[in-house]
Amino acid sequence: MAKRIAIVEDEAAIRDNYTAAFRREGYLVDGYEARQPALDAFEGRLPDLVVIDINLKDDVEGGFELCRELRARSTDLPIIFLTARDSEFDAVSGLRLGADDYLTKDISLPHLMARIAALFRRLDAMQQPQGKEARLTRGDLAIDTERMTIHWQDQAVGLTLTEFWLVHALARYPGHVKNRQQLMDAAQAVLDDNTITSHIKRIRRKFHAIDAGFDSIETVYGMGYRWLSD
Amino acid sequence: MNLRRQLLLVSLLTLMLPWAGCEFIRETEIALRNGQQEILAGMARAVASSLRQHREEFPRRDSAFSVDGQVYIHKLTSRPEIDGYFDDWPLASDSLRSMRGTDGPVHFAVGSDEQAVYLYVSVSDRNVVYGKDEVVLVSSSPPERQEAIAFKAEAPGRILSTKQTQYGFAPEPTISAWWQDVPGGYHVEARIPLSQLGTNLGISVINTDSPEAAGTRSNSYIGRFPGPARQEISALMRAAANHVQADMRLIITDADGWRIGRSGQLGSRDDGTQSSRLIRRIYDLLLEEGDEATLAEPDPLGRERQPYVSTALEGGESGAWFRSSDTGKAVIAVTAPVTVGTETLGAVILQQGTDAILSLTNEGLSRLIYLTLVTTLVVAGTLLGYATWLSRRIRALSIAAEEALEGEDLSTALPSALANDEVGDLSRSFSWVLQQLGEYNAYLRSLASKLSHELRTPLAIVTSSLENLEHEPLNEASLGYTARAREGADRLRQILSAMSEASRVEELMRNAEPERFDLRAVLDSITQAYGDAYAGRVFEFNCDVDAAAAEGSPELLIQMLDKLVDNAVDFSDDGDTISISLSGTDGNFEITVSNPGPPLPERMRSQMFDSMVSMRGGKDSKHLGLGLYVARLIAEGHGGRISADNTDGGVCFTVSVPRSMPSQ
Repeated sequence: MAKRIAIVEDEAAIRDNYTAAFRREGYLVDGYEARQPALDAFEGRLPDLVVIDINLKDDVEGGFELCRELRARSTDLPIIFLTARDSEFDAVSGLRLGADDYLTKDISLPHLMARIAALFRRLDAMQQPQGKEARLTRGDLAIDTERMTIHWQDQAVGLTLTEFWLVHALARYPGHVKNRQQLMDAAQAVLDDNTITSHIKRIRRKFHAIDAGFDSIETVYGMGYRWLSD
Repeated sequence: MNLRRQLLLVSLLTLMLPWAGCEFIRETEIALRNGQQEILAGMARAVASSLRQHREEFPRRDSAFSVDGQVYIHKLTSRPEIDGYFDDWPLASDSLRSMRGTDGPVHFAVGSDEQAVYLYVSVSDRNVVYGKDEVVLVSSSPPERQEAIAFKAEAPGRILSTKQTQYGFAPEPTISAWWQDVPGGYHVEARIPLSQLGTNLGISVINTDSPEAAGTRSNSYIGRFPGPARQEISALMRAAANHVQADMRLIITDADGWRIGRSGQLGSRDDGTQSSRLIRRIYDLLLEEGDEATLAEPDPLGRERQPYVSTALEGGESGAWFRSSDTGKAVIAVTAPVTVGTETLGAVILQQGTDAILSLTNEGLSRLIYLTLVTTLVVAGTLLGYATWLSRRIRALSIAAEEALEGEDLSTALPSALANDEVGDLSRSFSWVLQQLGEYNAYLRSLASKLSHELRTPLAIVTSSLENLEHEPLNEASLGYTARAREGADRLRQILSAMSEASRVEELMRNAEPERFDLRAVLDSITQAYGDAYAGRVFEFNCDVDAAAAEGSPELLIQMLDKLVDNAVDFSDDGDTISISLSGTDGNFEITVSNPGPPLPERMRSQMFDSMVSMRGGKDSKHLGLGLYVARLIAEGHGGRISADNTDGGVCFTVSVPRSMPSQ
């Protein structure tokens, strides 16, 4: 059955372009230009995935509001912010509201498609029994590539899709330095230096929350990062 | 000329004060003097009219005799000894009258006390012939015949005089006389009882050079007979004495000016003020000059011939003002004629010292001088202080404004901002201008990120449209166009990303948690990385510290170095060596990145670290002039500073950061 994606985006041209691209991939797409029409439409049935712009016409933080309300109605509905706002603060705010990913409009359509596909795949994997072959273990780290979940010392680390891919890229070949370009490719995103730095910091922080002694991600100054295994 | 000098110059205007004060003193003095003169003139008139009652006492002018030939009999206050010398006479030597003699001038003086007339004659004589040379005192009381008392000597010393009357020659023992030889002549001094003399007196000198020759006669009078002698008349003196007050002198003259009465004395000035020569000098400069005070003294020869006296003798009233330049002694003199009908009998001269006025003006003058001195000093000092204060405020303002501009701390309160004067206005205007400048700078800084933010959505429309388009069936040509459009959009995206870099760095700086790291290791490893990244350049790392435990964000410092190295690579040529160095001072690390290449343009030096200022002159569109701005943000975010200098044949960027980050 085809998945249903809702796009809440006030800019008609973008909305239409995304709609066209999603339809080409075989998704069912509904476009909304503001928060209220979207909520009204979701009243009957929730879509399978929602792409939200933060700034909805005069409703400057409308996307955040919508995300909060949707998250209240469903804990596992994948929500992606797709916005022109690239500040760290907005990204953190969006992810804190429970969004699965926070993307800027720089992202190319193929990358966007890859992410959406990955999110659906994770969603599907969650509903299947766990398969052994999809597991990658590096000491205390356990990566489930199917469900795109990561455990550290048997505790789940709540990573976004981008973060998951970054950790996955690093941990796959421990000891190898991954430069920024490689990390960008792995994360299916165009990220600048600062954004990668921020991502790595956020990842470290999330691991630290579980294990204060975490130091497996090493910065190799001027080159990139590598995963240290014990 | 600075403000202080200007105000000091203005304060010189206070020197007007002493000038005005002196004018005032001068006016006062003149007014007082005029007042005194008025009073004195009134008194003189009163004396003159009272003297009219004694009109018969005034000697009548006798036109038969020349005034010049008249003898004046001085009133002697003491009796001279008859010894042939004048120095014991109570008269000054200028009281000696002079007449022409055959061998030279003859000087003589006649005086009298109540009983006798004294005679002193000094004769120039080349050759004294005893027994022949003689001095003759001619006397008469018209219409009686004239008599002559002859003094001649057989030898110097006491001589016996002979009196020639209508009856013949006879020695006159009541007359005592003395002949004294002196070099070039002789003196004769004699005492003659009043009873021996008439009203008219004259002196003759008979000189001869040999006992045989007849003598040549010289007379004090003109014509055959001597004129009436003049002397002070006690009746008039008594009449006038009542009018005389202290420090006042009254002189009565006859119609020819002969002094026939005098009374009173001018007090000698109390010279307590003489101590201050300065004041005297100023005083001399200030006050109206008068005639020399000695001219106010009674004439030594007995005849008052001052112009103001002459005026009175012609029937008018007059006044004069005398002042001694030596002593400052000043005298006011007035005259009034004594007239009966149209005839002028004589004149009354009344003189008074101006001590009262003088001491008043003197005191005023010295107080004026001290006061103006103090005033000038106070005013000049106050103005100087005020100017200093004012210029300090203005200077503080200008320094603060400059510092605010330099430090880019445009929100600082400037000094004098609350002052309610023009400096306060200036300060507020400055603050306003600085604030505007600050807002403008802030606007410039945020412009890049705002712009990139605003452009992102239309760019997303372009790129997503192109990506969709690529899925449509396109011919060869269309594919080429879309590929080119994609390329352009991609470059646009890179530019937008660079534009928002500064704001992201600022955000990161705010949220950065400083970590401790070894700066040397970081620089070492990154220098190697640069060597790999820029194949055309040689990179070297110099370090003079063993370990550099720094605090901060290594990622951001690396980003900063990326900008500097990127810059260094752009401005150097293939094969050049770019050197990175690290040195440590107290509390600071200094990182330099230097490259050979063209020097920095001087005019860019101050703003090359500002937002959107590029030194590349537009040849490279990828650079928006944000790289060095980002480097500066990172350096300053670490509590340090960045600077650029031209070196010998190259450029050196220096970043100085504290060893430990300041707590924010």
